[in-house]
Amino acid sequence: MYNRIKELRAKADISQQELALRVGVRRETIVFLEKGKYNPSLRLAHDVAHYFGLPIEEVFVFDDEPGGRPLG
Amino acid sequence: MKRTILMFIISALVVASLALWVLKGHVAGNTREMIMVGTAFVIVGFAVFLGVSRLRSHKLREPAEDELSKKVMTRTSSLAYYISIYLWLFVMYVSDKTTLPSHSLIGAGILGMTVVFLLCWIGVRAFGMKNV
Repeated sequence: MYNRIKELRAKADISQQELALRVGVRRETIVFLEKGKYNPSLRLAHDVAHYFGLPIEEVFVFDDEPGGRPLG
Repeated sequence: MKRTILMFIISALVVASLALWVLKGHVAGNTREMIMVGTAFVIVGFAVFLGVSRLRSHKLREPAEDELSKKVMTRTSSLAYYISIYLWLFVMYVSDKTTLPSHSLIGAGILGMTVVFLLCWIGVRAFGMKNV
């Protein structure tokens, strides 16, 4: 899974700190998300997507990872 | 905030105990004991670092703990536990081969566990935790 947080954040012109405050996490969590080092909980993914006004699947994108289970 | 203050109080108590231990002359000054005291100070440094990090979050109006920090701690604890089992196995093996008193071996084992925890924490943060 990869995400578009960095790109969306740049478009919205907000800092990592500001986004962190808006979704109720530490700035470090946003850093980890942007680096792809952490998969968020469904709640956090929802909050981030909601902040950008997009559906979750447009912010967090599933790709065909080796070992990933196919959907459906 | 209460937990942060508690972390600083415990760190201060550990430093005071170590200082008393060293100043009262209970440390013989040999390499083994100096390594143990040094390791204990490194662990206290780690605790202070975590405390300062929590204080900084408080100052920035961030939560002191969030889902990532909780998961890092959970993952670190489980990893450190598994590795510690092998550490104690090693201590048991060494105890048959050495003339060290048992309290020294137990002290070394406990310090070893804290070092394992510190290394696991660094590793978990460095490699991330994508599929946990």
